[in-house]
Amino acid sequence: MRLRPAVVVLAGGLALAVGTPAVWAGTRPPAAAGPPLASVVTTDPVPPSTGPRSGSGTSDVLIRPADPTPATPSAAPVRLVVPDVGIDAPIEPVGVTPDGLLQLPDDVHRVGWYRFGPVPGQPQGSAVLAGHVDSWNQGLGALGRLRAVEPGQRITVDDAAGRITRWQVVTRQLVVKQHLPLPELFARSGPSRLVLLTCGGPFDERLRSYRDNLVVVAVRAS
Amino acid sequence: MIRARFFGLAAVLALLAVGLGVGPASAASTATVSVLHAVPGVTVDVYANGQKLLSNFAPGTLTDPMSVPSGSYDIAIFPAGANPSTTKPAAEAKGVSVPAGVNATLVANLDAQGKPTLNAFVNDVSSVPAGKARVTVRHVAAAPAVDVRANGTPVITGLTNPNEKTLVVAAGTVKADVVLAGTSTVAIGPADLDLAEGTSTVVYAWGSQSAGYKLAVQKLSGMSSAPSGVPAGSGGLVSDRTPPLVAGISLAGLLVAGAAGLRLTARRR
Repeated sequence: MRLRPAVVVLAGGLALAVGTPAVWAGTRPPAAAGPPLASVVTTDPVPPSTGPRSGSGTSDVLIRPADPTPATPSAAPVRLVVPDVGIDAPIEPVGVTPDGLLQLPDDVHRVGWYRFGPVPGQPQGSAVLAGHVDSWNQGLGALGRLRAVEPGQRITVDDAAGRITRWQVVTRQLVVKQHLPLPELFARSGPSRLVLLTCGGPFDERLRSYRDNLVVVAVRAS
Repeated sequence: MIRARFFGLAAVLALLAVGLGVGPASAASTATVSVLHAVPGVTVDVYANGQKLLSNFAPGTLTDPMSVPSGSYDIAIFPAGANPSTTKPAAEAKGVSVPAGVNATLVANLDAQGKPTLNAFVNDVSSVPAGKARVTVRHVAAAPAVDVRANGTPVITGLTNPNEKTLVVAAGTVKADVVLAGTSTVAIGPADLDLAEGTSTVVYAWGSQSAGYKLAVQKLSGMSSAPSGVPAGSGGLVSDRTPPLVAGISLAGLLVAGAAGLRLTARRR
């Protein structure tokens, strides 16, 4: 029996209605890959170094000269490479904006290293690298392809002294900005980690801002 | 000469105890105490409640923080090696109250007139905002009032022994010096002070005219805060919101299907 044209049109219309968004969604990497953030960046149980050092009232107390000592500079990271997704970007040190937000490089093709936190590869704490996913006037940013990173993939960071640290991705998560575990992601103590941050999720045209932060957490590769 | 206001140790600690009544509720029954020796020219032994706490403690040196049971302490310093039962202490303070949970520094120093004394200071170890550092200056020298300058600009004025002043500043290295109050007569420095982000730096101006004036520095860390957010995109190029084109095609498909469906049901009648 011959199909009536109206049936064909009906089926075609429905296929278009459902299929187009489905195909579009299929081209997007999933929102998350790897274990949830809460299980990766746990609250730091290590007491701050203001804490007591030794037992009470004994002569094994450490005594040191109280002369002013200069800052001990460490070699800053200068280059971030994530070969599997084609990220290769220069790094510059960044701080905070006057209202307390993380400052990012003006040039979206550069990545910022939070200079108040650990250097990548320091034995303790989270080294944070952050970059724009895009900008309204500069196009796609250095971390525009971070969404495609998968757990297990490699990251390398070069520092100004020519040393290279190698990292392995543990997890990639989209987190609503208001729920970002900032104290854990920027931890100064606890396990050595590399944290990559950018934006993601739905974009609000009115606020010209993304709803989420994309977070990638990596640990030292052996 | 400006008459330095002198707070007895007991008075300082009474203030301290009042201030700390509102201290951390979770504090155990211990306190954290460091000891700084800032009396020039004499190496000492430090006794707490008759027991030797520190031996051969040299001027210009500082202990690491020690955990001590909270309570009342009789503190005395003697010339190194002296027998405490037969020697008069170089300085002593009885009934020093150390409240639970406090972080304090006990300082052996000269008062404004040059007499050895003991002072206890509470260290502010509360967190500072991201990008900031805390700096506290304590005047424990046999000297009149001073001003403290950072990169040549007075930031603390009229500080007298045994008082302190605390500022929260942008983190970084500053060139600091100490001048006689209201003048540009440099008494100490300049010295580069590393005010590391998320830390407290306590600077002591100590010494005497005859022995010379110096700076002692105590560093306390662990007061950092994270930035409040990461604004890292303004383009919308990788938005997860369904693009208008995709939504449009989908809607068009739905309309076509609807129209075809209406025709089918119309024919059946």
